[in-house]
Amino acid sequence: MTRDQEKAALDLVTNPPPGSELAKAKEFGVDLTLFISSLRRTPTERARSLSEGARIFQIAKQTQLDEK
Amino acid sequence: MVIGGAAMGLQGSAHLTRDIDFCYARTAKNMERLAKALEPFHPVLRGAPPDLPFRFDVKTIGNGLNFTLSTDLGDLGFLGEVSGLGSFQEVLAASDVRNVGGVDCRVLSLEGLIKSKTAAGRPRDLYVLPELRALSELKRKTGLD
Repeated sequence: MTRDQEKAALDLVTNPPPGSELAKAKEFGVDLTLFISSLRRTPTERARSLSEGARIFQIAKQTQLDEK
Repeated sequence: MVIGGAAMGLQGSAHLTRDIDFCYARTAKNMERLAKALEPFHPVLRGAPPDLPFRFDVKTIGNGLNFTLSTDLGDLGFLGEVSGLGSFQEVLAASDVRNVGGVDCRVLSLEGLIKSKTAAGRPRDLYVLPELRALSELKRKTGLD
């Protein structure tokens, strides 16, 4: 993602043009800012993040164990 | 070829999924390769009684079409056809190549996902359409991939 692409993407997700698919999705409740973090990643990193969400529970469990 | 929620994730969606779905070619050679590749990972039918005899071999694959499996690698789905697109060759035509962990994988494109989700028409499919359409528009307008 180049700086220009990032700026254009940020502009679009923060101020989606009226009537656009982005505007409709925002109104539907989609968090458009998640697109930015996702598109910054390579497909390999995106694949990794599909299972990364579960790590927070592992971290919480480890924290509890460490505190005992 | 990766389809469904995992394809959405690889294409940049924030959608989370627990299983990974694939569309497979129903040629004799490919069904043989598929059965052989999965055998070490103990595939069983997801949601079936544990004592139900099941073997994911060429004969089983040939007699069926879509399989939802639990394996040592996690939950995997193998579909012979995809709603709104058709069989493997049609799905292939609607796919992109994505390098995932050093491997070039065929992944259903955003346009293909939109077409298949629209055709499937279940609430869970329609629910993701606004996000897929917005992501497609964002990519088109910025040149991002």
